[in-house]
Amino acid sequence: MLQETIGQERQIQYQNLLNLVGDQRQDTDEDKPLLKASQMRSIINSHRMMQAYREGSRVAYVSEQFPSEIAFAFDMIPWNLESMAIMLAQSVDVDRVFKLTQEHQLSRDICSFLRGPYGMMMENCYPTPDFVLTNTQPCEGLSKVGLISGKGYKAPVLALHAPNSIDEDSLSYLVKQMEHMMSRMEEDLGIEVGPDSLKSVVEYSNQAREYYNKTVQLLRSNSLPDVSRELQEIFGMNYFGVKENARICKVLYEEAMQLAGKETSKRKRVLWIGQVPEESHEILQHMREVVDIVYWAPLWDANMMMLDEKDPLKSIAERAILYHWDAERTKVETSQICEDHEIDGFLIANVWGCRNVMGISQVLRDIANSKKLKHLTISIDLVDRNNYAFNQVKNRVDAFLELLQ
Amino acid sequence: MNQEDAVNRAIEDVVDLHRNRFTLLKEAKKPKIGWVTIYTPEEILLAAGVIPFRLTGEVGLNSTEPSAILGNNYCSYVLSCLGEGLAGVYDFADGIIFADACDMRKRLWEAWAREIPSNKSYFLEFPNDASDISKEYFASQLRKLIKILEREYECEITGEALRQSIKVCNESRTLMQRLFKNKKGERLALSGPESIQVVKAASTGMKESFNTKISALIDVLETAEQPPARDRHRVMICGSYFDHSEIIETIEGAGADFVCGDISNGVKYFEGNIDLNSDPVTAIADYYLEKNTSAYRLDTDVRVEHLLDLVEEYQVDSVIYYALKFCDTNLHDFPYVKEKLKEEKIPVLFIEGERNTTNFGGTKTRIQTFLEARMF
Ligand code: SF4
Ligand code: SF4
Repeated sequence: MLQETIGQERQIQYQNLLNLVGDQRQDTDEDKPLLKASQMRSIINSHRMMQAYREGSRVAYVSEQFPSEIAFAFDMIPWNLESMAIMLAQSVDVDRVFKLTQEHQLSRDICSFLRGPYGMMMENCYPTPDFVLTNTQPCEGLSKVGLISGKGYKAPVLALHAPNSIDEDSLSYLVKQMEHMMSRMEEDLGIEVGPDSLKSVVEYSNQAREYYNKTVQLLRSNSLPDVSRELQEIFGMNYFGVKENARICKVLYEEAMQLAGKETSKRKRVLWIGQVPEESHEILQHMREVVDIVYWAPLWDANMMMLDEKDPLKSIAERAILYHWDAERTKVETSQICEDHEIDGFLIANVWGCRNVMGISQVLRDIANSKKLKHLTISIDLVDRNNYAFNQVKNRVDAFLELLQ
Repeated sequence: MNQEDAVNRAIEDVVDLHRNRFTLLKEAKKPKIGWVTIYTPEEILLAAGVIPFRLTGEVGLNSTEPSAILGNNYCSYVLSCLGEGLAGVYDFADGIIFADACDMRKRLWEAWAREIPSNKSYFLEFPNDASDISKEYFASQLRKLIKILEREYECEITGEALRQSIKVCNESRTLMQRLFKNKKGERLALSGPESIQVVKAASTGMKESFNTKISALIDVLETAEQPPARDRHRVMICGSYFDHSEIIETIEGAGADFVCGDISNGVKYFEGNIDLNSDPVTAIADYYLEKNTSAYRLDTDVRVEHLLDLVEEYQVDSVIYYALKFCDTNLHDFPYVKEKLKEEKIPVLFIEGERNTTNFGGTKTRIQTFLEARMF
């Protein structure tokens, strides 16, 4: 599509987005001082959102754990379908969005992280993408949403299929797919992205990762709940590959260093497993009064992986496979997280419609039982509030918190 | 024996393979391996001297235990299969092979490996497209599977053995293609429920026996006097795992014909054939990836094109899109597929169900209303 036309479309889409802003506003911890890293991230997030609606920007819809380095090597703004769903759920009239998906006969049994973007696209308030880049993580539904969005916007859909096993065949299969993806992008855009572009992106990715990992180390022996939350946000934003993200990670590490050791009262630590609500969500507010919440996802091995600067695609491939919630690997990894972070209990958040968290919950409960940790599994919907009420889970959360004390 | 009796007898003969599968499989003096997706290369298992049979979830009626393991909001085919496994239904088998044909079947593999260790479980990577890169990769995975089977059964899976098993499976497919071919105005050789039973018989792994029996059925049908022509509304079913004779009986009871099932218990199972003139492993890999037009295939347009081809080939008047509750890929595809069918002016009815439901009241009325509006 002509850039000019895309630009006009995006202006309309931006207006549509503003029109969709709902009346209800979620409560926020207004008085709570934010970490500097969080403030930076929030500014960068807003900036990239604005940029994505501009004429001339290159936008790629991506799935949650898509290797963003590829998008950045092409100077694209990755529009993360799943994270955007939760971000926008805080400010737009989601009921209207979900009504629209129902009118189109998209089943309500599908996870709302997937129905959300689908509805937003129907409302025509996401920016027209230049590409849709998907992979099979974290679920096949997300690749389907990517695919359908590409068809809707007539944008090329380039997909990666990440196998489950880590061996030479699987790695080289993924590397070939990425090479093919990149050459298709070059062809379509009529540009050549030399190895230097990927190299510098990978360097930024590693710089960020280095600070990220050091921050995770600090989390182990210090009570740093806000830092844990910020790591979750950084993971969700998946902006590895740009300078700004490296700066956020560095600042976060410096702040974590300053905060480390200051909090002396040792509170119980609960590992929050599964999808994470926005920070002001009532469950989190409620739990934070009593325990420290440590988020599971940012601590995965895949998130600690440094990329091999000499052979980046191969290490990106390995990371992609590691992102699968393979039961056996998850077991080993989560057990290690429990030990490293001195976890006292698990909260498993089963998002309505997420077969992956549901399918792996038994493994997680087994780990908790074998380590004699308390655990609670709750059903929750973080985007579609019609599917969830705090009252329904509050009593169980309270009982769990009591057990922990 | 009159003609009608001879036909019925021949049909029963084929269907008995499915009905008596557990007894027959237990009696067979060969190792047995179960499978849960029609994209499992049965040819390779046969070449290893193994009987590859399908898990149908038919007798896994108790979902409490499987739901506790995998979750309530799970595909009921997957839960039923797990239920069967937990109940020891497949204790006679050496193992089960799980190909990566949807997220929930992947979780089924993991649960099986944990909960039913007496059955070995194999996992086969299965790409969701048919690019050259994917074909090459899938072929490498098949070679890996061959090595595992060779070690396990102390055998050598030669090119000749593979060609032989391809021949046997090609024959099954060709025979089914012949049996299921039908045109507007013709009276169907089999009733809808019978046609499903025949495909299920084909997937019990007893290929040679199936080929003999189905050949006999075709012979009887071809020599019998052709029944008078009848022109009925022609219905196709597509979607998730489907095995509901009640739904088909409702279609037929309403005066329509079930002419084609774009489902794993229908044409999807026996479409195409494997090229016998190329390297067997490459040919098997190419066949299964190209044949995959299920909702697992990422590009829904491939599925839609295939669906429209079938609509044309079988002169379909309307489509019933059947999704098992919580079958995400089919649920995701539906709005898009519906739009594409609408563009071609093909009416479609969406039905959601469970693997082993008994309560069909509402569904029955919806089907009747849908068909009546189009037939009269
Ligand atoms: S919550 Fe689960 S189902 Fe929903 S998008 Fe994420 S991984 Fe997929
Ligand atoms: S019915 Fe759907 S969810 Fe169930 S096994 Fe088949 S594709 Fe997977």
